[in-house]
Amino acid sequence: MSTKDIARKVAIVGIGSSDYHTLYKNPDPTRTREEMAIDVMRQALDDCGLKRSDIDGLVTGGTSGYEDFGYRSGLTDVRYLADYPVAGRMCASALFSAAMAVHNGVSDYCFLFNSVAFKSLAMKFDMAGQYGGDAASTGPLYNEVYGMASPGALYALAFTRYQAMYGGTEADLGEIAVQIRNHGALNPQAIFQKTHTIEDYLKSRYIAKPLRLLDYCLVNDGCAGYIITSAERAKDLKQKPVYLASFAQRVTLRPQYVDPDFWVEACGVLKKDLFEPAGLTLKDIQSLSVYDNFSLSVLWGLEGFGFAPKGQGLQWLKNGGISLGGKLPTNTSGGMLAEAYLQGWNNIVEITKQLRGTADKRQIKDVKNILYYGLSAVPNGLIFSNEA
Amino acid sequence: MSYTKPLPTPNKEDAPFWQAAREGKFVLPNCPDCGNIWFPPYLYCPRCLSPKRVFKEASGRAEVWGFIEMAQPYVKSFAPELPYIVALVQLEEGPIMFTNLVGIKNDEVKVGLKLQVCFDPVKDDFTLIKFKRRE
Repeated sequence: MSTKDIARKVAIVGIGSSDYHTLYKNPDPTRTREEMAIDVMRQALDDCGLKRSDIDGLVTGGTSGYEDFGYRSGLTDVRYLADYPVAGRMCASALFSAAMAVHNGVSDYCFLFNSVAFKSLAMKFDMAGQYGGDAASTGPLYNEVYGMASPGALYALAFTRYQAMYGGTEADLGEIAVQIRNHGALNPQAIFQKTHTIEDYLKSRYIAKPLRLLDYCLVNDGCAGYIITSAERAKDLKQKPVYLASFAQRVTLRPQYVDPDFWVEACGVLKKDLFEPAGLTLKDIQSLSVYDNFSLSVLWGLEGFGFAPKGQGLQWLKNGGISLGGKLPTNTSGGMLAEAYLQGWNNIVEITKQLRGTADKRQIKDVKNILYYGLSAVPNGLIFSNEA
Repeated sequence: MSYTKPLPTPNKEDAPFWQAAREGKFVLPNCPDCGNIWFPPYLYCPRCLSPKRVFKEASGRAEVWGFIEMAQPYVKSFAPELPYIVALVQLEEGPIMFTNLVGIKNDEVKVGLKLQVCFDPVKDDFTLIKFKRRE
C-alpha cells in the first residue's frame, strides 16, 4: 500500500479566514468560535461557488461542540464527521483523513475549520492547564515540581543542546523570527505587520532563555477553513485547484515532546514518505510552510529534510534565505509568529493562495510545490501542488 | 517557612520512588524480563510491557543534556527565584529527567556538565531528587 494512490486526487477548492488583525485589536469575551467559523464557511463557499447544501463532510477543530456548529450553520446532510482538539499536530492529520474520506467517496465536498478565541478568553499556554484551564499538573516528568512549564521552554532547552553540538548564537537564531515576521508586513490580515531588525530581536525579553518573546507564536482569536473535493469535481469549480500531493506522519510519543535528535530521524522518515509518492524531490519545492509554534521549528526542519546541512541551518538561512525572494521563502503570510496562531490551519490557507497565484504582494513567482510540516510528538507533513 | 512549590502526589506508580528518596536512595524501575531501566516510574516496562518491575538503586550519575534559564513566572511559586535554571539531565542508566541544580550558579551551567544526585528534604514527609556538581 502506498499513499501514491491518493496523490493529487484531492484538492483544496475553497478557502476562508478571519481578519485576524481586526479581531486582535478588538478582543470580545462574547465572541464565539462558532460565529467566526460560520463567517469562514460563507467565505469558502463563495470562493468556490458551492452551496451550503453541497457540503456533506465536516471536520471541526476548536469548537465548543460540533453539534452547536451544525445547528447554527444549517448543515443537515453530513456523511463524514470528525472533531479534533485544538492542536497543531492535528492540522495535517485532519486534512489528510478528510482527503481519504473524499477519495473513498464518503464525502463529496468536505468543509474543515479550526476556530479559537484564546485572546478573548485570556487563555494561557503554561501547560499547568494545557491550552488554558486551571488543572494542576506536575507534567509527565514532574515538570512543575522543578519549575519547568510551557512548550516554548522545551524548545529553548533543545536549543542549548544544539548550540553545544553545533554552535550558533542568539543573533543567528533571531534571523528566523525576523525574516518570518517581516512577511507579516506584506499581509493586511496579519496581526503584526511591523518590520523587525536583529537589533529589535535582541532587545526583546527572554521568556525561557535562550528563547525570546519574538521566537514565540501569537495568542489570538480567529478561524481558518477550507473546502476539499476530488480533483475531478474540482475542475467544475471557480478556482484553480490546489492538489494534495502527499501526506506522511511519524508518531514519536515520549514524556517530553522535543525530539532528542531535533527531529532529524523523524524528518528523514517523513521525507521518504512524502516525496516518493508525490514523485518529487527537494529541488521541486519552491516554498516552505512550517508549523512555527516557535522559530526553532524552522531550523529543525531545514536540517531534518536536508535543505540545509546538519548543524548549518542557521548559516544557511542568513541573508534572507527564508525570506520572499530568498532561497526558500518560508511562512510567507508571517506564519504563526506574525499572521495568527491557528495551529497551522492559517498556513494551509496561505499555501492555497500561493499556489493559486493570488498572494498579492507576497506572491512567489512560478511556485508549483509547497511543503508543509509540523514537528511535535506527532511529526507530520503535506506536499501541495498546483500541477495535476 | 513552609514549602509552597508544587509537589508530586505519590500514587501506585511512583510511591516507591519518592519513599526511597526520603530514605536517601535514588532508585529506578528495572525490568527483570528484559533488563530495561526507565523513568518516570510507569507500572509496566515500556519496552516489553512486563508487569514485574523492581526498583533498584541507581548510580546517581548524570550529565546536563540541555537547560533553560526561566524568565517567565509560569509557575507562580517559583517567581521569587526568577531567573532560575531548569536542567534536563541524562542519567548514566539512560533515562532523562528534569531537575534543579544545587550549588551551581546560573552562568556555570553547561551542556555535558557532570552531575551527582543529591537529596533535598523540602518537607518533613517529602524529599526531592536534585543534582549537584560531580567532583
